[in-house]
Amino acid sequence: MQWTKKDLLCLYDLSAEEIEFILDTAAEFKKVSQRRVKKVPALRGKTVVNLFVEPSTRTRVSFELAEQRLSADIVNMQAQSSSLLKGETLLDTVRNIEALQVDLIVMRHSAPGAQAFIARNLKCGVVNAGDGAHSHPTQALLDIFTIREKKGRVAGLNVAVIGDIIHSRVARSNIWGLLKLGAKVTVAGPATLVPREFEEIGVRVCHNLKDAVADADVVNLLRIQRERQTAGFFPSIGEYARFFGINNDTLKYMKPDALIMHPGPINRGVELTGDVADGEQSVILEQVTNGLAIRMAVLYLVAGCVKK
Amino acid sequence: MTLRKKQIYSAAEMDRAIGDMAAAIAAAFPISNGGCALVGIHQFGVPLAERLHDGIVKLTGSEPEFGKLDISMYRDDIGNRNPLPLIRETEIDFDINDRTIVLVDDVLSSGRTIRAALDALTDYGRPKAIRLAVLVDRGEPEYPIRADFVGFKVQLPADRKVAVSFDDDNRSGGIDEVDWTK
Repeated sequence: MQWTKKDLLCLYDLSAEEIEFILDTAAEFKKVSQRRVKKVPALRGKTVVNLFVEPSTRTRVSFELAEQRLSADIVNMQAQSSSLLKGETLLDTVRNIEALQVDLIVMRHSAPGAQAFIARNLKCGVVNAGDGAHSHPTQALLDIFTIREKKGRVAGLNVAVIGDIIHSRVARSNIWGLLKLGAKVTVAGPATLVPREFEEIGVRVCHNLKDAVADADVVNLLRIQRERQTAGFFPSIGEYARFFGINNDTLKYMKPDALIMHPGPINRGVELTGDVADGEQSVILEQVTNGLAIRMAVLYLVAGCVKK
Repeated sequence: MTLRKKQIYSAAEMDRAIGDMAAAIAAAFPISNGGCALVGIHQFGVPLAERLHDGIVKLTGSEPEFGKLDISMYRDDIGNRNPLPLIRETEIDFDINDRTIVLVDDVLSSGRTIRAALDALTDYGRPKAIRLAVLVDRGEPEYPIRADFVGFKVQLPADRKVAVSFDDDNRSGGIDEVDWTK
């Protein structure tokens, strides 16, 4: 098969073959960062604008580095210092960017669907770096890539995603991607953050940690934001950690080769203890390495479909 | 779009040519002088390189290093042509510095694939020399690229493709002239 899309918006839109295609492509790009010369000319002469209307450090740095290793020219735009503050509409902003002969826009925005909206209206390619609580496709792709690399497959695995599911674009994108590739997905956390409605999309919902992770091959821990505590979703961070945090005792009743994953940044002592984060089952740092490879693959593939 | 194929060289003729090329490469780069390393370019340069590798082992008893290269990331036409196919595996796990590398591809036509392969190899190190072995040389490259070891010289109109085939066990499948018509 061949990749034919100029945009990467949401894993929901992709077939299993297309997802595997991205993973296979990323496997080759991973090798580039391990070589002496960590650069290939694939996007030489192409211009990429990183438009982070919703701020980010880690994802933005990862995309920036991916673009540089593909030899692209980069422009970084942050909402705080942009014309959006002066009241320019999003569509006007991106049309102005496109008028500069830009090939790709990598965008993060707090409004779900923002990237899909601009992608319909632009000839240049659009890569979604996160749209509200809806989608974060490159994060899910790197998570799935990590799972596939470590376990040799995705189909049939038990994957548990723990944490603030209802507000999480990482959870949603992981769910779509994992289900498409045949994994069995459990979501778990406090009932206020993990509503039963998620069963309708084909995942098991659990409000007890042991129940969720005892048979898991992979456990993906989502970051707990302090704002959720002040908004009343749970009584205290300490209580969250006590009931849903992973520590060495949790590991004892899990499969010994279960992977511990986290999209970062980790809160030591909340989602997981320092011991677990630094322990043998943790692949958290590899996720970061794989994220670079996935983003290089995605940028390469969509750039190849942007028509002149 | 219909596809018309006409065989121009049989599997047996392909085998003979590959045997001759292996002998020529073995003779040109004796082990006493450091030998050579073979790097096959995906897609059909790889089975060809494997056949040449086996031929050289049979003739000399020694094994040249072997690598595979996918040049997709070095192409000069990303975004200008049709969607990109899957990138195949690049594996060059030996040190290419100061070695003689023989790049292997099935067909030399425009020379742009080889140009990309040269750029890719340069990112891995600084070889002593790079030579080119192709099974079919179409004789009219767009870039100043020449092959050092050639199986067949074939002159065809520009709208014809040359297709070299190997089966999954690297056995020769013959060489065809292919006419793509709308």
